[in-house]
Amino acid sequence: MKKIPQGVYYAIFTVFFFVLIVVSYNHPRTRKKPDSVMELFSDFSWLNDWPRWLDVPFMHWINTNWKIFINEYGLIFDAIGYGLLRGYTELKEVAVQAPWPVVIAAVILITYFTSGRKLGTTVFVGFCTFFIGFLNPRFWDKAIETTTMVVLGIFICVVIGIPIGIAMARNEKVRNAILPILDLMQVIPAFCYLIPGIILFGLGAIPAIISIFIYACPPLIRLTDLGIRLVDKEVIEAAESFGASRRQKLWGVQMPLALPNIMQGINQCTMMALAMVVIASMIGTRGLGDEVLLGLQQLNVGAAIEAGLAIVLLAIVLDRMTQAYGEKIQQRNQPVKKIKKSD
Amino acid sequence: MIKKMQKILMAIAFSFLSFLSFSATTTTANAACSVHIGDFDWDSANIHTAIGSFILEHGYGCDVEVTKGSTNPILAALIDNQIDVIFEHWTDNNVALIDPELESGNLVFLGVNTPASEQAFFVDRATSEAHGITSVDDLKRPGIKDLFTDPENPSKGRLTSCISGWTCYTINLVKLKEYGLDEMYTNFDPGSGGALDAAIMGASTKGQPIVTYYWTPTSLMGKPEVDLVRLTEPAYDKDCWDAMMVVVEDIKANGPDVYTPSCACEYKDMSLTKLASGKFAADNADIIDFVEAYTIPTAEVNDMLAYYVDESGGDMEATAMHYLENSSNWESWVSSDVAAKVKKAL
Repeated sequence: MKKIPQGVYYAIFTVFFFVLIVVSYNHPRTRKKPDSVMELFSDFSWLNDWPRWLDVPFMHWINTNWKIFINEYGLIFDAIGYGLLRGYTELKEVAVQAPWPVVIAAVILITYFTSGRKLGTTVFVGFCTFFIGFLNPRFWDKAIETTTMVVLGIFICVVIGIPIGIAMARNEKVRNAILPILDLMQVIPAFCYLIPGIILFGLGAIPAIISIFIYACPPLIRLTDLGIRLVDKEVIEAAESFGASRRQKLWGVQMPLALPNIMQGINQCTMMALAMVVIASMIGTRGLGDEVLLGLQQLNVGAAIEAGLAIVLLAIVLDRMTQAYGEKIQQRNQPVKKIKKSD
Repeated sequence: MIKKMQKILMAIAFSFLSFLSFSATTTTANAACSVHIGDFDWDSANIHTAIGSFILEHGYGCDVEVTKGSTNPILAALIDNQIDVIFEHWTDNNVALIDPELESGNLVFLGVNTPASEQAFFVDRATSEAHGITSVDDLKRPGIKDLFTDPENPSKGRLTSCISGWTCYTINLVKLKEYGLDEMYTNFDPGSGGALDAAIMGASTKGQPIVTYYWTPTSLMGKPEVDLVRLTEPAYDKDCWDAMMVVVEDIKANGPDVYTPSCACEYKDMSLTKLASGKFAADNADIIDFVEAYTIPTAEVNDMLAYYVDESGGDMEATAMHYLENSSNWESWVSSDVAAKVKKAL
């Protein structure tokens, strides 16, 4: 394939830039225009302060298209929202209905087995879980609501994020196309999509789960991509020399070796999801973030910090559970060290 | 060792110098006067703050600093004298907090900024006309609550309420109980002012039914898509209101379990007022005279808010300048030479 010379790109950008200036100058919304274009070249006072007419009407373009978008595609979002909502309410109901000792026991059991029967971690996690309700009985149900949202958010992240990560690792072009999108998702301020999310999905848990996906998915995608590409070349060559197909190579060699990285990604995803659920209390999402917000709005520092502590505890529980599982896999992947340990 | 000592001495001397130069610059900047204005997270307050700070900055030559926040933090800062002036205060919502401060002279009351405002429950016009919902009692009729089903709690309707932590949230909670609506509707906290606006806007553009708490003057009410009908409630009665507020304050302090039946009535259409810290008022009589004279009719405020949203491109200062250019009302608030200075700056 012939490479396009760099100069062509520059030329395209320059032309685009000038077209944008002309379009915004001629836009009817542009204010305080001089009487004629020629005035710009005789009177140079517009160079002092940024002139009002030098203003791309992005806002109007976005607003007009946004309205059309809602009218045309609003139903699709309603359907997505309805599906998610069903999942959320069912899951939440089960967890809220369950007696609290059962929930704590379940957390302890899960931690015990995912961490590879580490007693210290298990006791610590069980203790933290107990302390969430112990801090304030009101927090227990709220913590469950928060966790449900986080879990659902992570589930969507994993289902969508990991395949994208794999595709990125296997194809340079996909990578180059997706990376800027990930940058955008990570950098754009949360309120830019939280508030439009309300218009599409209504107040409550659904825009929060969608926001979790936007905010927490990029690290998972990045770490999946990185994990697969970091697998030793020699190992892959060995697999190839045994005649492994691309599919066998991926599922038999690359994925298992990338699993610690992917688990790290899921761990990061969890932490960021929790952070987002707290911010999402600003758009009417129930849960522990709600308590922090309420405490701050009533200037009740004690209540806000108490709720903040509960979030930290919840973060520790979720972190230890995912982290411990990652460590277990990592150990399994390094048989040499394991033999040494058992000596 | 000596070199190290030298370095430390140099560092100390340098930090001293920079400190001196810093304090020198701050004193010169303070030459005329400095005003710290408290602003809130809704747009009618923003607009008064923008107009006020423009006049103070260009007419009086003051250093104006604006801090924006939620009601309680800003009021706390005002009481603490960290903030000097606020241009819009919803008096009736914060009586318990503000009254003692006014009595002790820590705060000074500076009159009305907008003569009339509404706070009430609203239903979108299409639903109101189709089902004949005109009062809060109509919400109790069978089948009505299903129009507004709360997706997270399908057995109830969702009444999109005030933001929890604002007093109006607790007031709405008590009202729902008094009106016998709390079994049928959730008092749904939208989390923030922006989220409440977006919820109303979303329902209006999609043509979905909504019953919500809201207030005027606001730019949202001036939008073409949004058409809300105010629901009638029992008429305002001071004794009834005071009895309700006792319960409200109790719930705010001790949680919703302490609810006792009392009474409920509509929000009083109230005047929005201005406040200043007593210390600032004592030292800046001319500025206080201006703030006290400051008042704009509700219709003009609505016009400005519409201009702000649809014409100015979301530029509060441009909106303030638009008002100052097109109205001459404001010239009566200030002396003629201040007015001249403001006009020059436009």
